[in-house]
Amino acid sequence: MANRAGFLRSATFRNLAILIVVWEIVGRMNWIAGGALPGLGEILIRLWADRGDYPGHIWATVHASVLGFVIGNFVAVSAGILFVLFPTLLRLTRGFNIAVFALPPIAIAPILVLTLSGMAPRITLAALGVYFVTMSATVVGLSQFDSRAADVVRAYGGKDWMVMKLVRLRGAVPDILSGLRIAAPNAVLGAILAEFGGGGRWGLGTYLLGSLGRGDPARLWGIGLVATLIAGLSYLVFAIISARTLGSSRSVTLNTALPDADDGAARPLALRLAVIAGAALLPFFLWWAFIKATGVPDLIAKTPLGVLDYLFLSDTSHVARAKLFAALAQTLPITAVGMVAGLGFAFLLAISARMFPGFIKTFMPIALVTQTMPLVALTPLLVLILGRGTSVTLWITISVTFFPAFVLLVQGIQRVPQSVLDLPRAYGASAWTELRMVSIPAALPYLFAATRLTVPRALLGVMIAEWLATGTGLGNLLNQSRGYLDYGMIWTVAAVSVCLSVAFYYAILFIERRTLTRLGMQTVE
Amino acid sequence: MHHDQGIHLRSVCKTYRGRGADVEALRDMSLDCAPGSFTALIGPSGCGKSTAMRIALGLEDYDTGEVRIAGHPPAAATAAGVTGVAFQDAALLPWRTVARNVALPLEVLGRDPAKHSHEIAKLIELVGLKGYENALPGQLSGGMRQRVSIARSLITEPEVLFMDEPFGALDQIRRRQMNVELQRIWMESGSTALLVTHGIDEAAFLADYVVVMHANPGRVVEIIEVPFERPRRSALYSAPEFHALCDRIAKVLHGE
Repeated sequence: MANRAGFLRSATFRNLAILIVVWEIVGRMNWIAGGALPGLGEILIRLWADRGDYPGHIWATVHASVLGFVIGNFVAVSAGILFVLFPTLLRLTRGFNIAVFALPPIAIAPILVLTLSGMAPRITLAALGVYFVTMSATVVGLSQFDSRAADVVRAYGGKDWMVMKLVRLRGAVPDILSGLRIAAPNAVLGAILAEFGGGGRWGLGTYLLGSLGRGDPARLWGIGLVATLIAGLSYLVFAIISARTLGSSRSVTLNTALPDADDGAARPLALRLAVIAGAALLPFFLWWAFIKATGVPDLIAKTPLGVLDYLFLSDTSHVARAKLFAALAQTLPITAVGMVAGLGFAFLLAISARMFPGFIKTFMPIALVTQTMPLVALTPLLVLILGRGTSVTLWITISVTFFPAFVLLVQGIQRVPQSVLDLPRAYGASAWTELRMVSIPAALPYLFAATRLTVPRALLGVMIAEWLATGTGLGNLLNQSRGYLDYGMIWTVAAVSVCLSVAFYYAILFIERRTLTRLGMQTVE
Repeated sequence: MHHDQGIHLRSVCKTYRGRGADVEALRDMSLDCAPGSFTALIGPSGCGKSTAMRIALGLEDYDTGEVRIAGHPPAAATAAGVTGVAFQDAALLPWRTVARNVALPLEVLGRDPAKHSHEIAKLIELVGLKGYENALPGQLSGGMRQRVSIARSLITEPEVLFMDEPFGALDQIRRRQMNVELQRIWMESGSTALLVTHGIDEAAFLADYVVVMHANPGRVVEIIEVPFERPRRSALYSAPEFHALCDRIAKVLHGE
């Protein structure tokens, strides 16, 4: 029980207690936006009053999340193994993988509802949410195996699949588990988003949507807290499992063998170009194949050619294009401004972390909790507090970029060895000189990684806010088109937002590679 | 070319082709280890001694020449289970217990470890780790891990045993103790042994023949016979004739 006593006396616990007390007072006094932020006590009372509603909704959401989680991870781990065994396959599916990573779930929720039925859209979106995280964790885990142990297996005539079975698969377990840890809240978020766009009676997303018009802040907060709790618990389960297995899986000694040089550059140019072209075309082919496989009529389900036709060739094309450009003109600037603000704020706070270690120590747990909070549950709460203007969109974008970027940057700076940080000090450098010479350059690769990782989240955040609150931009266009049964526009918005996300991702990757190569640094995955 | 149970390399050449510079790792390397003999390969870093062993194990290709391990090409010999190997690093799988690490070669060769549980227990006892059967590598000291690796190299009852600096990570005192034990274990097994090492005294203490190699290009310069009676005892380390032999090996090594 020493641990528990220690926790009760720790600064984290004290700060948490202060936070809750302040929250309760502020809530009771209705100081924020005329009662938009109720006290924790009021929320819990409301939660108790609504207790009859919750089990059905929670069950529906958990059911879809778990199924999606299992299916998505099964596909992801299998794909990861295939990619490692056949690297060309990884290059060929790069476009598809990045598209899955970058797609804003809210944009494709409506098209899934159009093409699939019943629970399938929810399960699919939950599965899509976990696929990329687990797949890349599997590839990383399988790639970083102990070459000495593999030598032992090969020295007894073991072939590649034997090395895979005896050394690499088990060695990848910690990486896969840490992937699952991040994937679990994603599955919950995916399921809730699909409930949002898909009607149906049960599910926390449906409940949230239904309660939005009632103007009862305490209930919205209650749903938000329950959703966060489910996502947080799923994270915790895998965090505990991975902490248990990690100890026995780390190699005991350091492998000093040099890794094999990548001979990818030795391939003929024509072959490489063919693979790149294949990678770019594959997502569109899969899209087309998906529609043909589901057998949904052409009127409702648009193929890539159908979207081109809608945008450029039909009689109403000019109207559609005008609507789309007007929406983009509203969505893109606010996304860019929010991202720059969020990233800049995170960067400043992270590089100054060494000056306020106490503050960071308190702040980190809160930043980590926000990582598991389903964005869609957060949005209505921010709408309550900030109203339905542009500022809510901006704040949502800032918050979805700020927290992941901050966590990534702080972890990056922490990897700088203490001796490197001490060196400028030993020569009498000022804090500013030390920042300029060590912390800022050290944080740079992580800033790029954070930018790449948060682009899709920022776009998702903006679209959710537009859908739910402001009634502008791409999110609103998507929601309106659902109402007007404008199927062409639904598919167009989905395709355009995924393409934009992928394009941004590659643009940042390009700048990142050039900058870091010039500085002699490695990109962070 | 001999087709007995020993190790035979005939005129083996191997060049690593890198960008710009080619490295001649082995030039015209020939080596004959008679069945049941103990041979030590010694030389500076980069002389190709580890490459020679990796070629003999089928872990690397060679450009020209011929290799026979117990009468077979390397790949066939390893797949038939006639070889055993211990590397510089114990290279144990961290999630497997001592007993299951020892059983690893059996699994690779498609044999049933359950049928060999008696041999596994006996080998663990032979290397002095009785009672640690279910310990994980992380719970063992460096010397103990190295012994697990030796036990693992013997589990297939190999006719040919390869060791690449098996005690390279240990301190001098520990290494000498392990050398005495290795001699005992090897004498009981009756296998043909090839040891790659940096240590002059280790080579002189364990081997029947010390093969000295030089680098750039990697080649054999001299083979020195070691005349001492077996079993050799640790007192040999202090004997004047032992030191004389070590000095002779050192002279050849330094090219004097």
